[in-house]
Amino acid sequence: MRVYILKRLIQIVPTVLGITLVVFLMMQSIPGDPVVSLLGEAYTEEGAAQVRQEYGLDKPVLVQYFVWLGKLLQGDWGRSILSGRPVLKDVLIRLPVTLELIVLSMAVALAIALPAAIIGALRQNTWADYAATTVAMIGVSIPEFFIGVLLLLVFSFGLGGVLPSSGWVYLPGTCPTIVCSAGLWGNVHHILMPAFALGVGRAAILTRLLRSSMLEVIRTEYVTTARAKGLGDRAVVFKHALKNALIPTVTVMGLQVGFLIGGAIVVETLFAMPGLGTFGIDAIIGRDYQQVQGFALITAIAFVVMNLLVDLTYTFLDPRIRYA
Amino acid sequence: MREGPSSPRPISGGSVREAELPAVVARGATAGPAESPFVLGVRRLRKSTTALIGAGIVAVLIVVALFADVLAPQSPITSDQTRTFQSPSWASPLGTDQLGRDMLSRVIHGTRISLLVGVSSVLLALFIGVPFGMIAGYYGGRIDTVVMRTMDLILAFPIYLLAIILMVIFSPTAGLIGTMKVTGAIAIVRIPIYARLVRGSVLSIKEKEYIEACRALGVRDPWILFRHVLPNCLAPIIVTTTLGIATSIIVEATLSFLGLGTQPPTPSWGWDLKANVAFIQSNLWLSLFPGLAIFITVLGFNLFGDGLRDALDPRLK
Repeated sequence: MRVYILKRLIQIVPTVLGITLVVFLMMQSIPGDPVVSLLGEAYTEEGAAQVRQEYGLDKPVLVQYFVWLGKLLQGDWGRSILSGRPVLKDVLIRLPVTLELIVLSMAVALAIALPAAIIGALRQNTWADYAATTVAMIGVSIPEFFIGVLLLLVFSFGLGGVLPSSGWVYLPGTCPTIVCSAGLWGNVHHILMPAFALGVGRAAILTRLLRSSMLEVIRTEYVTTARAKGLGDRAVVFKHALKNALIPTVTVMGLQVGFLIGGAIVVETLFAMPGLGTFGIDAIIGRDYQQVQGFALITAIAFVVMNLLVDLTYTFLDPRIRYA
Repeated sequence: MREGPSSPRPISGGSVREAELPAVVARGATAGPAESPFVLGVRRLRKSTTALIGAGIVAVLIVVALFADVLAPQSPITSDQTRTFQSPSWASPLGTDQLGRDMLSRVIHGTRISLLVGVSSVLLALFIGVPFGMIAGYYGGRIDTVVMRTMDLILAFPIYLLAIILMVIFSPTAGLIGTMKVTGAIAIVRIPIYARLVRGSVLSIKEKEYIEACRALGVRDPWILFRHVLPNCLAPIIVTTTLGIATSIIVEATLSFLGLGTQPPTPSWGWDLKANVAFIQSNLWLSLFPGLAIFITVLGFNLFGDGLRDALDPRLK
């Protein structure tokens, strides 16, 4: 098992190299020049050449990539062209915000989907089932930002500002500067709506999947046997059926990571959160090559690690699945 | 549901179809000339209420998109500074935005962009992905490796990261060209889905006896691929395409929301929603209607796609 995890962790390397290289090449083909926007009105040929030399932008593209890679191996993620700030520092400041958003939204998704799917499958074709499937259908059809807007309408404006519409209060201990606000209560206030906006869509997808795989599993013979032994619904579902039904669901959740990253960008933009999503979109639109590379790097790592976690979850759900 | 040894696998999620599937197959087998799977599929589709509701929504949207010029009471682009932020009224049933443009007209015209990008990006991905998938699956070997590794490279990207960077490279613009750029970006991201799907089907179909018979008769490869292989992997393609349109519409709306879709003044739901969030406190209906439009459109394609899936290939999930 340890060898397997180690092998998989080594596999991160080619994936990360591939993604960062492609992003690097794509960023170079973006029309526009960050040096021009950096210098603004102070733009002169000599000044631009100096800045280009300073950031190594005068070298061939592939050389630039390998320079970036070499520095990366020494733990240097480069400096932002526009702000001059170290990229790694910015990424580390913003990472906890996005992690909190993603973890809580998954928690929201599970908290909604598990009961909805189980009730839907056990009471198939009853009003409870119809309600669960209808709500799930609606949930998969609403984009995250519209859920966010609806939440804003109700909780920030409709109910007289119960929840704040934008901004951020850091979790205690994660505050990056001296002048930022931190506190558990304020943090909960700020994260609730974004976590729901991102979580509801996932909950809908999960419900649909889990319901149909539960329906398949509860018709298998071992579940019939369990019932014949006289086990109640609760024991049958939680001890026997649920784990097996979760396997295809976990696979699809792994595939959803790409959408989750997009969702984080959108939700963070809507609620003006200082997370990685807003960092990434600002960097891409501002053509801040170094920041974009940092964003691509952290996204690629997250992507591979999430897929690894998915594969490891299988062994927990079904002990017959083993990785040698 | 009790399973006989010969009955098909249990159909998950479906409810209406379960009881009737064996009966329909039996009818097809005994009565007169066998019905094509297509006819069977259409018959099953017509019995599904959700699919019909979905088809109805989609049909209405297509009519709205086609006749947007006639249906829209005013121009979606012409601004009128004397009529900014008007509440819903008879003259402007959905109110006006910060430039005094009629919201109803913008929502109606937005249907065009949404449907155009949703449908054409999926078709473009289909027309590129399907041939590549067929060739990779049919010929195997080195061609398969090259094609599928390229697809894997695209799939290794989180879909939104790739779509966003592509849109920045294409530099978003307004009008038809801008719409084509969005279509292209979404299509590129979605090509591997079709290539993988088709390759999988082709791998199993090419081993069938009738394909071997074709080869023995000396039928040429392109003819075999398009006349004999493709029709047999159509069911999953059709289902994935319909549900894919729903996803593409969401991706388009999301790109627009991030300011990377078709640029104003061309009416686009995602952009309108984003632009009006700033005024949400005073004019809540402004961002509500574009959002509702996106929701209804995606819902229509999802309902129709779900029904299609149950009708065409009950084993698909």
